[in-house]
Amino acid sequence: MRQEGRRRVAGNTLAFLKNHAPFNKMKAEALQAFADKAQLVFHSAGSEIVGPEAGNVRFFYLIESGKVQARQAGEVTVTEYSILSLGVGESFPIGAVTAGRPSTNTYTAVDDVFCYQLPAEDFMQLMTSSPEFNLFCTQYIASLLDQSRCQLQLQFAQRANEQQTLNSPLVGIGSRSPVAVAPETPVRAALETMSAAKVGSLVIAGEDRKPVGVFTRSDLLDRVVLADLPHDAPISQAMSPAPFKLEEHATAYDAMLAMATHGIRHVLVTDAEGKLTGVVSERDLFALQRVGLRQIRQSIEGAHNVEALQQSAADVRQLSFNMLAQGVGAEQLTQFISALNDALTRRVIQLNLENHNFDGIEWAWLAFGSEGRDEQTFSTDQDNGIVYAVPDGLTVGELKTRFLAFALDVNKDLDRCGFPLCKGNIMASNPQWCLSLDEWKEQFSQWIRVPQPEALLNATIFFDFRPLFGKVELAEAMRRHLLAQTSSNPMFLRAMAHNALDVEPPLGKIRDFLTDLEPDHPGKIDLKKYGSRIFVDVARIYALATGVHNTNSVQRLRLASKRLSIRDDEVNAVLEGMDFIQFLRLQHQYLEGEPGTQGDNLINPDDLNELDRRILKESFRQARKLQTRLKLDYQVN
Amino acid sequence: MFGIRKFLFKDGSPAHLPDDVKAAIEAWRASSGPQLDDAHFHVRYVVIDIISSGLKPDSDELLGIAAAGVREAGMIVPDDAFYLDFSAIEGEGEAQQQAVDRQLMAFLQFLAKAPLVTYHVPYVGGFLQRIYKERLGIDFQPNWVDLAWLLPSMFEEKSHTLQPLDHWLDLFGLASGSGRRDAMENTLMLARIFQMLLVRVSAKGIDTPGRLVDESRASSFLRRTH
Repeated sequence: MRQEGRRRVAGNTLAFLKNHAPFNKMKAEALQAFADKAQLVFHSAGSEIVGPEAGNVRFFYLIESGKVQARQAGEVTVTEYSILSLGVGESFPIGAVTAGRPSTNTYTAVDDVFCYQLPAEDFMQLMTSSPEFNLFCTQYIASLLDQSRCQLQLQFAQRANEQQTLNSPLVGIGSRSPVAVAPETPVRAALETMSAAKVGSLVIAGEDRKPVGVFTRSDLLDRVVLADLPHDAPISQAMSPAPFKLEEHATAYDAMLAMATHGIRHVLVTDAEGKLTGVVSERDLFALQRVGLRQIRQSIEGAHNVEALQQSAADVRQLSFNMLAQGVGAEQLTQFISALNDALTRRVIQLNLENHNFDGIEWAWLAFGSEGRDEQTFSTDQDNGIVYAVPDGLTVGELKTRFLAFALDVNKDLDRCGFPLCKGNIMASNPQWCLSLDEWKEQFSQWIRVPQPEALLNATIFFDFRPLFGKVELAEAMRRHLLAQTSSNPMFLRAMAHNALDVEPPLGKIRDFLTDLEPDHPGKIDLKKYGSRIFVDVARIYALATGVHNTNSVQRLRLASKRLSIRDDEVNAVLEGMDFIQFLRLQHQYLEGEPGTQGDNLINPDDLNELDRRILKESFRQARKLQTRLKLDYQVN
Repeated sequence: MFGIRKFLFKDGSPAHLPDDVKAAIEAWRASSGPQLDDAHFHVRYVVIDIISSGLKPDSDELLGIAAAGVREAGMIVPDDAFYLDFSAIEGEGEAQQQAVDRQLMAFLQFLAKAPLVTYHVPYVGGFLQRIYKERLGIDFQPNWVDLAWLLPSMFEEKSHTLQPLDHWLDLFGLASGSGRRDAMENTLMLARIFQMLLVRVSAKGIDTPGRLVDESRASSFLRRTH
């Protein structure tokens, strides 16, 4: 009678399923399969149902009663998360369970919740056996995004594997030009070589470049100083003979194992003939796993020179890449990159302040453009400036000269850390953008009074400013001035709106996309120019119109739409569209760009998969919707 | 009263039972139940409801049993359920009687000496006790959790007095519209309340099945006599 028991329990589930999409459209067998396997579980109000820490998602959840809140999670510290409320008949986390990865959201029971939970393997089974269910899972816009993320993850996972796991061959790890001396070299000369090369270990190799020993700093203590070895004795008397060697094609894991087994800190890497080609240290292996948010932050804050910061900058890129691979959304990711880049910039400024003294002067370092909006992608050049208050007894001219010298140093150091100098020279070292508070206010007023094309262009860069270092109040004073000016100049906002409508999303009447807008790049779409910039421009106008202090476009749109009483679901659709375009940009910059080079924003829509093409089209539609609204609000034809 | 019965009907299988059932009874007797001092998560509970011809266990007839396992501190799995409708048992005469006995035995095996949860133990337990005594010669004395008495003491904010089950379903927001529920639907309703109860009692430090059974006994004793 157990079959009968199961049939009746499942029958109970079936009765529920038949009242909810997409299950009500599914065929009887598929529905029965769901009901036969679905477990009913209770989650008390406030308890977490599933989250990123729970590891790979084991169940597909369908809410039977109660409400569930989905909250974006991650090691990202951003102020605003997108929060989603799910009710009876809704299911989660479709993307994660499909991909067999941890959920990127935390799902919490808002009140007492009963959920049907379908084990992941039964869910996958259902996906293949029921076209209706499959369609539902792929159509749902959030799951669309998620799904596209998981496809991406696959690509990334492969690259991530090649790049940085312990499976990497030793040939790409550690020092490629190890410092080596001959066995007969006197101890003193060997030590001088070490000191000059600033290394802690030395390889002893014969003329045939076959290593015969290793000499490290700890050997210095035990075998030279304490052993009273004369400084003209050959280094072979102090070295550890018969060093541990691995061939180039051995993996980092082999090296780690060898170090653990033999209690050594260095492994020599040789080619097939046994000739020395490199050294891998414990630190090199550690570095493979080092890339984590906290470690990077600590290393940035503890960096004593630009060289150390260069390493951190590389780590930021690596970590953002890993996060992208883990499916972290574009909004979080860009804010995250910005947060770490901020820390990096601050450190560069601090280091340079050691050579430039501004005691007693109020000033602030400003970030403009995408950096000012917290929307940096992997390849962003510098956009910065300085604002200062002129104290009594000093002239603007004097102060400007001092700040310019300082800014030039900072700009150069930032360039060395991977933030290329701005081609448009929007940098603090440019006298035009190294201004006193009064000069900035006057500059803003002038642009707003006379909205010439150049002024409007400048407005799109300079009105997105954010203080990165120094006296925040100065930037706030600038912001108050700006908002007061724009709200009393409707003509200016109209001109901005006009400008923002110059470029339209590349949606074709017959074809899906217009790909001939850029004469130099036929067949491609500039995702920045025809995509994210549209959102950013509209967000800026509404923010200025409604007195929103934020510079981030997502926050601007959210806050402005609240003030304008625009419906949440409407805004969310817009934000999702924007998020997706940003995400494609990040993906493109990382997958197509050579590591360390500046990626572009040009994509060929034919290269996208069917899923991404559809979402991209929908995202552009959202951009167009946003523009239509702007047109109406500002009466622009 | 139970003590006297136990005395009158000494444990032992009645002679008329088929050998396989006799053997199964012996095996069941020899088997050990779950550790009641283990965490709720590790112990499987079984939620039970019955259908009967009336409310008097001593004279009315038991018509059906519906039961569902609740494991891992609150999970209902369709595979772990049991439904017995005595009127649906086919066959005639002795064959039918043996089929009934086998089903009763199968139910015991399904229970596997798990702690049992129901609404109003004297009613449900009374019928089960009688049928097992009469047919299999078994003194059916499982560990009971009686929601009827336990709910008022664990969910005082909802009601602190004894209530009909339907009132509780309303209070928990579980009322599933109109119409009669069959025994399995009732069992699943009870199972849901039990899922909620498990969260509540764990928060109150009642963290093992043993303690829950004790709490159930205490609540029914206190409420009935004070």
